[in-house]
Amino acid sequence: MAENTRETFEPNIVAFLCNWCSYAGADLAGTSRIHYPSNVKVVRVMCTGRVNPLFVMNALQQGADGVLVSGCHPGDCHYMQGNYYARRRFTLMRRFLEYLGVEPARVRMSWVSASEGSKWKEVVEEVVEGVKAVGPMDQFKRRQLNW
Amino acid sequence: MNARPKIGVYICHCGINIAATVDVEEVVRFASTLPDVVVARNYSYMCSDPGQALITEDIQNMGLNRVVVASCSPRMHEPTFRKTLMSVGLNPYFLEMANIREQCSWVHEDRIAATEKAKRLVESAVVKVRRLEPLEVKEVEVEPSCLIIGAGIAGIQAALDIADAGFKVYLVEKTPSVGGHMAQLDKTFPTLDCSACILTPKMVDVANHPNIELLTYSQVEEISGYVGNFDVKVRKKSRFVDVSKCTGCGACAEACRQAGRIPSEFDEGLGMRSCIYLPFPQAVPAKYTIDKETCLFLTRGKCGDSPKCVEACEAGAIDFEMKDEMLEFKVGTIIVATGFDVFDARNKPEYGYGTYPEVVTALEFERLVSASGPYGGKVVIPQRGKKKKKKEGEEEEAPRVPKNITFIQCVGSRDKSVGNEYCSRVCCMYTAKQAHLAKDKIPDAEITIFYMDVRAFGKGYEEFYDRVRREGIRYIRGNPSEIFRRGDKLVVRAEDTLTATPMEHETDMVVLSVGLMPRSDRREIIDLLKLSSSPDQFYLEAHPKLRPVDTATDGIFLAGACQGPKDIPDAVGQAKGAASAAMILMASGKVKVEAQTSVVDEATCRGCGFCVEICPYSAIELVEVNRMGWPVKVARVNEALCKGCGACAAACLSGSIQQRSFRDLQILPQIEVLGVSD
Amino acid sequence: MVDQAKLREVAREVISREDVRLLIGYRPGTYGFRARPAFVESAEQVEELVFTPACVSNLASYLVLEEKPPLPRGAEPDNRKVAVMVKGCDSRALVQQMVEKAYERDHLVVLGIPCSGVVDMARVEARFPGVLSAGSIIREGDDFVLSFDGKTEKVPAAELLADKCKRCRYPTPLVSDIMLDDEVERFAEDDFSDIAELEGKSVEEKWAYWAEKFSRCIRCYSCRNVCPMCYCEDCILDRLKPVWMRRSVDISENTAFHISRAYHLAGRCIQCGECARVCPVDIPLMELNRKFYKDVEELYDYEPGLSTEATPLLSTFSVEDREDFIL
Repeated sequence: MAENTRETFEPNIVAFLCNWCSYAGADLAGTSRIHYPSNVKVVRVMCTGRVNPLFVMNALQQGADGVLVSGCHPGDCHYMQGNYYARRRFTLMRRFLEYLGVEPARVRMSWVSASEGSKWKEVVEEVVEGVKAVGPMDQFKRRQLNW
Repeated sequence: MNARPKIGVYICHCGINIAATVDVEEVVRFASTLPDVVVARNYSYMCSDPGQALITEDIQNMGLNRVVVASCSPRMHEPTFRKTLMSVGLNPYFLEMANIREQCSWVHEDRIAATEKAKRLVESAVVKVRRLEPLEVKEVEVEPSCLIIGAGIAGIQAALDIADAGFKVYLVEKTPSVGGHMAQLDKTFPTLDCSACILTPKMVDVANHPNIELLTYSQVEEISGYVGNFDVKVRKKSRFVDVSKCTGCGACAEACRQAGRIPSEFDEGLGMRSCIYLPFPQAVPAKYTIDKETCLFLTRGKCGDSPKCVEACEAGAIDFEMKDEMLEFKVGTIIVATGFDVFDARNKPEYGYGTYPEVVTALEFERLVSASGPYGGKVVIPQRGKKKKKKEGEEEEAPRVPKNITFIQCVGSRDKSVGNEYCSRVCCMYTAKQAHLAKDKIPDAEITIFYMDVRAFGKGYEEFYDRVRREGIRYIRGNPSEIFRRGDKLVVRAEDTLTATPMEHETDMVVLSVGLMPRSDRREIIDLLKLSSSPDQFYLEAHPKLRPVDTATDGIFLAGACQGPKDIPDAVGQAKGAASAAMILMASGKVKVEAQTSVVDEATCRGCGFCVEICPYSAIELVEVNRMGWPVKVARVNEALCKGCGACAAACLSGSIQQRSFRDLQILPQIEVLGVSD
Repeated sequence: MVDQAKLREVAREVISREDVRLLIGYRPGTYGFRARPAFVESAEQVEELVFTPACVSNLASYLVLEEKPPLPRGAEPDNRKVAVMVKGCDSRALVQQMVEKAYERDHLVVLGIPCSGVVDMARVEARFPGVLSAGSIIREGDDFVLSFDGKTEKVPAAELLADKCKRCRYPTPLVSDIMLDDEVERFAEDDFSDIAELEGKSVEEKWAYWAEKFSRCIRCYSCRNVCPMCYCEDCILDRLKPVWMRRSVDISENTAFHISRAYHLAGRCIQCGECARVCPVDIPLMELNRKFYKDVEELYDYEPGLSTEATPLLSTFSVEDREDFIL
């Protein structure tokens, strides 16, 4: 990544998507052939409630430049409440990471429903743009050590 | 415990759907270098029989114990490939899919970038599948009973089918009578058989069927549980009439001090009723109901010296002390058949509905042409807001008979300005039918229909449309821009788009072919059952083509227009589909439950109860166990109740509760490979 | 200040009860006026008990950390009560432990100590080098009185008070069976200005600040071990399946460790300050905890450790929770 300049920087973003809304919404973007940047790679979970905020820390440590957690709109959670729990956890984690000096643009959350294929594209674009603007994650990325 | 993973990776071309954007050969080369991967192959269609055979043969010949399929979304074919594994004796949960179609080849254009991403997704699936564990698919019993919400034609049909098959049905209807919108219609297209004549026998059947418990004037308040075992609470609203005593004679309604003053819902407000009423003559059950919103005694505590209805009722059925009743029962399946609302024509103010009495909606027109309607089946311009009951001796002003009637189609449908992009699917045909009926009643009337397109797609529909046109009804292609008054006429301003001629069309009466809308109270059911909505706000089916009657929740099905606009044959068809889907569960008597449930490591659980608190299904409880002689509290999961959301796993500080197939141990390696920048 | 004779008298009564097996209090340290925990199992031991402004440690930790060795088959576990001396801040740890179902209320006999503040040993040492190895300290009005080498020194309390005491909202224990002194009225406020100051800086400045702190960490885990809320049977830091972070001491793993520790205390830390006190390399750990504490209070109007009836912060939600950052 050392050769990356701000201009050519293509961020790597790990996204956690709930199976019922956001993952289905991302699938819908596919079926609708809506094109968007390839920077976001998805981990499918059943519900955003499953996403431990320490996953975010772990992703940033592993080298992700940004993390996105996306679930059902409030009130629409397939499991009734999972997205509400996630909202609390990530609100706190995001503020905390900012306090440590991690740009908030790296930790994003969105509500994308199963019918919002085009919103998924917009979310991806916005997250990618936001991370591009702050550059590669450098703060506590795990370095590959050559013994 | 598990043998060393031997992974097979299968990469699908999906014709050119994947292969056009992703270099499949390159992904295969990459996959074969990954740890524990024994074989990596590609094939044009992995989901085809030969594609699946590749997998089963490798499992048998090479001793594979883990499979990664990189193809379409797991939401599409995960069940397919799980069955593939199972067919050769491999646990179906040793499968992981990489979504390189919907979330890769279809959304990216750059072949190099898409290929790189596909490689990452495959690697992520490989590192996860290495750590997956075999899961046991458990079954629970299915209660042989069904709750049907809504007793329009769809709910009625589903109820009759299920009851005839020998299962218990609870049919819950919000209003005092079954029948729904179909009961309001006069004739039905394209056969012109009378709606009441074909519906009424079915209404009577649901009331009399030994397997159907009909709960009218009732509302579902609470539903908990899971497929096969739903606990339902229903509020039976008080009618203030003892239905066991009421004979349906109607003396009470005639006696009511407010008789003829309350707009009748059934007659779309064109006719009037009393505070105590039967919604319509054929209502089932034929029992009266007191409307507590308008009843003088119930709103003010006083109705003259004593309520007249009580005096009039010889059976002594009226009971102002009657309270709502709560019913609780268990069902195995649920069918939602809550129907639709019609578009509120006031939202198209340019058509003057609500301003000009000559402008009516199609549903009002149904009541006008109906022999049981407020004008005895005469097509007239309704006298809104005027009391039908006049004082003795006063001359009754006769309603005007229009000589020129104009229909406007697509009011509130195919119209982004009101937020409805969809076609309501019934308006073209019911407009043709209403035009025919109008012509039938007033043979010398001039009848014009403004339309955008005529969609006559059903059986016998095109033929009917053709017949109506031949009857001298004029079709003008164009969407009118406004309606205004000129003298005693209304003027419809439009453009005939076939000849590109602007025109002003004078008429006596306008009928707006209003579209079908999602019900305004749809959130109640969404909240109750956790249904999703499609962009048009109708309830969302599990798959638009292959699972049109299922919902995302097992055991809950959709029937009729609550899922999207439908005509009667389609609503009945879907109702029969939903009934049969529910009966599959009830007939087999058992159903597989979620296998990807949570599980507690009791040796490390500290019993803090965070997971107990967080579980939306109350599936976790603290139990006392013996830890080396000491009694300690630990969490325990009831697997029949657990839905596999994993919220508990994220709440646990020590990682002692984990979700099967989504363990920290399985997700962290995914993060590791996806996090690595190229 | 607590009457030492009364303290011992009460302790004697309590430990003499048949249903109490252990009393946890303070006794003088080997040298100087440091105090250390005392585990009293019989009435004879009560004579060593004290309470002074040097009694900084939070004894609630011992309630949950006490080892339970395997019992021989057929042996009955000793389920008698444990008595514990708590200051205001410490008492909140008891409350929070009960919220988290560590034990039932009737498992405890709580000896409450209304507290007007303890000293920061680092400040004492800085002011009187060497004094910690011999001497004693008491509170007199607004001053601390130190006795060492045959002399006495009077110092305004504010100069030696621990930081946590300067912003203590709950000086009188929130839970107690026997209060050992008169209630102490709230004498300080907490406006989180220390946190707000760093919040106002740029991300670069923030990271520069923390990178320097975290790079010092030697991963001794003292902060975790002393914490009254950190008592999982198997901490994720120790787990090998999965490995949440590596054991290596570098900025990446150290940061991950500090994020994990602080996050696990979100909505749970009761601000006793023990983590920061025991840190051998002076990482301001309370600033991490207090960032969460501040946000939790601001966003959810929630303070942990106040009521045993409370629902754990992250096991509940409100539909109205703020979500202005969510796309």
